[in-house]
Amino acid sequence: MKKELIAMILAGGQGSRLGALTDTMAKPAVPYGSRYRIIDFPLSNCVNSGIDTVGVLTQYQPLALNTYVGNGHPWDLDRNNGGAFILPPYQHSKGSDWYKNTANAIYQNIPFIDNFDPDYVLILSGDHIYKMNYAKLLEYHIAKGADATIAVYEVSKEEARRFGIMTSDENGRIVKFEEKPAKPESTQASMGIYMFNWPLLKKELAEDEADVTSSHDFGKNVIPKLLAEDRQVFSYPFQGYWKDVGTIESLWESNMDIIDRPRDIDLQDDNWRIYSRNPVKPAHYIAPGAKVRSSALTDGCLIYGSVHHSILSHSVVVEAGAVVEDSVLMPGVVVRRGACLKKVIVGMETIIGENDLIGGEENKEHPYYNKKICSDNITLINGGLILKPDITVPGNCMVSMAQDVAEADQVIERCENIPAV
Amino acid sequence: MIRNTCGLILADDKRIHMGDLTRPRALSAVPFGGRYRIIDFALSNMVNSGILTIAVSTFNKYKSLMDHLGTGSAWDLDRKSQGLYILPPYISSESYTGRGDDLSGIINFFREIKQEYIIVSSASCILNTTYDELMTYHKDKNADISVMYNRDGYKAEAPVTILDMTRSGRIKGVYENPLNPVSNRNSLGVMLMRRELFVEILGEAMSRGTTEVNPEFYVKEFDRYAIYGYEYKGCALRINSTQAYFDATLRALSEPTRTEVFWQKQPVFTKVKDEAPAIYSEDCEVRDSMISDGCYIQGSVRHSMLFRNVSVGSKAKLTNCIIFQDTQIADGCELENVIIDKKCVIRPGIKLIGQAAYPVVIGKGAIV
Repeated sequence: MKKELIAMILAGGQGSRLGALTDTMAKPAVPYGSRYRIIDFPLSNCVNSGIDTVGVLTQYQPLALNTYVGNGHPWDLDRNNGGAFILPPYQHSKGSDWYKNTANAIYQNIPFIDNFDPDYVLILSGDHIYKMNYAKLLEYHIAKGADATIAVYEVSKEEARRFGIMTSDENGRIVKFEEKPAKPESTQASMGIYMFNWPLLKKELAEDEADVTSSHDFGKNVIPKLLAEDRQVFSYPFQGYWKDVGTIESLWESNMDIIDRPRDIDLQDDNWRIYSRNPVKPAHYIAPGAKVRSSALTDGCLIYGSVHHSILSHSVVVEAGAVVEDSVLMPGVVVRRGACLKKVIVGMETIIGENDLIGGEENKEHPYYNKKICSDNITLINGGLILKPDITVPGNCMVSMAQDVAEADQVIERCENIPAV
Repeated sequence: MIRNTCGLILADDKRIHMGDLTRPRALSAVPFGGRYRIIDFALSNMVNSGILTIAVSTFNKYKSLMDHLGTGSAWDLDRKSQGLYILPPYISSESYTGRGDDLSGIINFFREIKQEYIIVSSASCILNTTYDELMTYHKDKNADISVMYNRDGYKAEAPVTILDMTRSGRIKGVYENPLNPVSNRNSLGVMLMRRELFVEILGEAMSRGTTEVNPEFYVKEFDRYAIYGYEYKGCALRINSTQAYFDATLRALSEPTRTEVFWQKQPVFTKVKDEAPAIYSEDCEVRDSMISDGCYIQGSVRHSMLFRNVSVGSKAKLTNCIIFQDTQIADGCELENVIIDKKCVIRPGIKLIGQAAYPVVIGKGAIV
């Protein structure tokens, strides 16, 4: 059946800058903000914008994402006509192909999109936290008579060097696009949200596919080609909360924004609910001796110790005498008595041992020291681990099974399987 | 898992009145435990036992119940074959008298389905279990009807149904609200029998003009049928009155009741709300309480149960309180031994003090 607009979420990337967190799951499946996964944001935005057909392109470690999205029921995307579709790479008569890059992933799914014969296709990425009404973006796109519209976000001059930067004329038409410019001409960063006229995009993707020099990337190839062809490409300025959660530091910051800047992301907003797959757990319990301040908690947590300025996902247990500060605990984490966490991100189902001291000042000599992934004294403990009691892991460390650490320095007692949902 | 069994939940009980709390809703639609309704426990017990055909009967005030149950998807009961069926009174003629007809819907439904056994559960008891052992007991005893009871008959509030049993467990006497109970065995309102027997006894009762189906009525047939009592040893919370509801909720905050009712290996399913996480402010103080998603807490909360999306203003003090969803408690309020229904607003500085043995109840939507 024909649809005016369908959305495609690029959820196949590894997100290697999140280190061990994405060892077993793709970035969009990473838990965020106490009761969400990152992909809840684009999915909920779609549904709230009236988009009822969403393709989710998966490739890297798809199990967690596939089971999480499922039939799309939590987002009202279990529909007879349209709905949520998981789109993995597939085998065809002339061999098989992984998704080579973003544009190639869409190219390989042209038959899927053609099923719905849409006028417009919205390309989204699965790694940003924001609330956006895509219906307004479409209105803008139509009003401008655009061939393509790219949502842009105002960043500072310094930050601009990390983004793809758009320079637009007074009508909002993009005249120049630079990937991570040393001397940015503008401060409008691409949000990785693209609205295309489908017939044009289809043609462009076919041409891009035929170009052997292309790396088949929207930002690097497709958009520059449209500009070179002098197409009507417009920028759509977005105001409001938007955060790229691509690094450990930005993931931590964005989690803390829920308690430090609650009005900015406004998860309580009844007019723009962020939906998620809900765990079947009782309301959380705060014991008589517990102390919980400046924090976000959700169902199934049992708190006997002290929790300050932290984000706890469902079924987290903090035992008596344990102290959790400035930390992000993902679903099912257990903090044993006497343990102390300071600015730590702990992956799903990990058990922190008794009297463990984790976080604090960095120590460059420590075997788990990892400045490539961790910064700002944040420590990352991967999911599914059982840590030995009485250990110390300082700031800017990453603890995961995959690390090569001398037997004597090993802080991991056992590794459990991480459940997908 | 038990097979070949259907379920019937009696969603209301004409003997139980809870004032403001049951004015807008059936007994089983009364919120309980932060994110549940009372019926969630009976429904989840059946679903967790493997029962896939479940009927819910109610005689009035079913709007709240139907809102909650919807298609049954929260209990995985939105199915092509089997699933959830709501049986409101069956109005067969214009001269509907509210009698007899109430039961025709039930009897017609259960006459036509195929399961061999039926489990009937009344709404007023909260317990978290599965019925596997009950079924094993039923078959071992070669019983016609098996009824679940526990041993709180000496202290429970009316309505109580005392079962007098032989040593082998067969029921030889039934007493409702006796002055001097012969036993402490008190029916939990859950019974198991062959579906055909259920229909037969119900049909007979209807022909004699009975207008209500309840387990007590069946158990009284002990002269004609082999009816056995099965002792449930776990925790059961009886919701017989507002006071019992208040006590049960506060009891459920403490161990071992908390674990027995909420934190079992079989989950309690309920309707999903997609609230934001609960947010605790820098100055809040929360002790010995259960808090649900969507709450925003700035004040002090002790020994209380907060449902979803409740806000507690700064310097507000709550002790022994049960606050239903979407209620706002403004700055500086002082509440003690209070039950506040849905969507109420308590204005700044209001003081509401009830007694542990007589809680204050604020009805749905009130602005104080």
